[in-house]
Amino acid sequence: MTGRLGGAVERAVQTHAARMAAAVVVLVMAFLWVPIAVLVFMSFAAGGVLSFPPDELTLRWYRVFLSNDAAIDAIVTTLTISIPATAISVVLSTMIAYAVDRYVFRGRDWLQLLATLPIIVPLVVTGVAMVLFFNGTLGLPDYVSVVIAHVIRTIPFATLVILPTFLTFDRGLEEASKDLGADELRTFRQVTLPNVFPGVVAGGLLAFTLSFNEFVYTYFVKGSGDPTLPVYIWNQIRYDVTPEVNVISVVFLLVAVSMVLVAVWLTRVDLLAKR
Amino acid sequence: MAGRSDATGESAATGRVDALVESAGGRLDDLAAYFRERPRLRTLAVAGPPYATLVLFFAVPLLAMLVVSFQTGSIGGPWTLSNYAEFLGSEIYLTVVWRTLLVSLQVTAIVSIVGYALAYSIVRFSRRTTLLLLLVILPFWTSYIIRMYAWINILQSDGVLDSTLNAVGLPALGLLYSGPAVLIGFTYVWLPLAVLPFYASLTNMDPDLIEASKDLGAGPVRTFASVTLPTTINGVVTGVVLVFIPTFGSFITPRLLGGTNNIMIGMVIENQFKSAFNWPFGAAIGMVISVVVVALLVLGTRLGGGLFDTGGGEA
Repeated sequence: MTGRLGGAVERAVQTHAARMAAAVVVLVMAFLWVPIAVLVFMSFAAGGVLSFPPDELTLRWYRVFLSNDAAIDAIVTTLTISIPATAISVVLSTMIAYAVDRYVFRGRDWLQLLATLPIIVPLVVTGVAMVLFFNGTLGLPDYVSVVIAHVIRTIPFATLVILPTFLTFDRGLEEASKDLGADELRTFRQVTLPNVFPGVVAGGLLAFTLSFNEFVYTYFVKGSGDPTLPVYIWNQIRYDVTPEVNVISVVFLLVAVSMVLVAVWLTRVDLLAKR
Repeated sequence: MAGRSDATGESAATGRVDALVESAGGRLDDLAAYFRERPRLRTLAVAGPPYATLVLFFAVPLLAMLVVSFQTGSIGGPWTLSNYAEFLGSEIYLTVVWRTLLVSLQVTAIVSIVGYALAYSIVRFSRRTTLLLLLVILPFWTSYIIRMYAWINILQSDGVLDSTLNAVGLPALGLLYSGPAVLIGFTYVWLPLAVLPFYASLTNMDPDLIEASKDLGAGPVRTFASVTLPTTINGVVTGVVLVFIPTFGSFITPRLLGGTNNIMIGMVIENQFKSAFNWPFGAAIGMVISVVVVALLVLGTRLGGGLFDTGGGEA
């Protein structure tokens, strides 16, 4: 970038940088949010088929959805998997965070690696491996397999949120507690846990959100039993599109957005970015 | 927390409960003392359960898949190399792998450029960065399938896009079930994920470096190319890996948005497990994907991605 042309480019960038940045932010935000707005909008469309713009607005599809047993059953099925999976995942992730933060032991790096890998290995590969091993080799019942799959799927994300709260925790408080004669278990219960609790809850909320939306592992591991909500939608989309899916989408959006907002409120959003 | 008896006097029952609570408390103290004297056992008690879970239910299944990929017909069949031979000897499958690689590279390039531009704009030029970041990552937490469904609504013929184009007098595109539709879908799904490491590396960068570069007479473009980009390369590599790998294995997006002309390798695996029921062959394809992915990871970490640096420990 030398000579007059380079200088001209540099000056142009210098002058318009802020405007270009604003344009980038606006355009990308539109790209991210317009599809979601479209979904919400379509759920009120009277036409039923995917026409745009819709003729008139209605709550009809919400009524259809609420009186549809299959969809409601799918939600119940999803919850019976997500709630226990989240609980197990949070406990295990907290143990990982505690161990990685407090103890120096052989295999600590491996533990961190193992807790990160499920994010990295393509979902389809892990899903296939799980169906081979859980259903093929171990012969586990579907329900147990799916819950385990969800635990594995959510551990990396829960750990990612919980670990920083341990790292930023003031150890001096623990030292004080121990100086006052409390042992490690009691210190954890009465000093550490209350302090890291917001982070643990945030990790749990994100794990739950992920589990509630989980599709790939469930799709492979779960047999032909009751579908979870994402699997139900997948079947709907592939065979016959019904406007009901728009409504379910809105339900999903509300669950996800509220969970994440609470999680962010509990921790700080930049913790998710600062690894 | 021993149950104190109330004014009605001590019944035998409360006495027994008291004794039980006492002894339980005592036992818990004993247990704590026992662990305090044995730090290695204590570490095992905390790190053991998650370790065992991840090994048994994540690492072992992947190894089981490796084993099955060398078997014939069904699980437990005789040993063979035929699954790999069939896959690697078939022009159709290799074409699918090649297409998958191209699509993954295109998606990674698009997401990296757009994501980096966005992260840069947010970090350097925006107030309310937290709110903007939140707006970026929120869509990531909504269901993958729902997000694909939104794009079906938009891209299909007479969908939102075509109606809008018609309204302003432009011809309809009918993009659904095409290559561009797949690219749009992937970009939409992975953009939030890639922005995080870009954002993190840009925020953690020392601003004095930029000042120094400007003091030495470099303009903004030159400063970006010779200072900012090299300094944040770790974040870039992490983002690239986070996008490339899931794209390479994906079957949902190509199935819902690409149709039959844009088959990707993930769809072939799904098909083996869900319709053809040839599990060993599906396992072999899974291994091929894994090998490609591991090779790229090694390459990535060589280039200096802090992929496994989830914080913690003495870095």
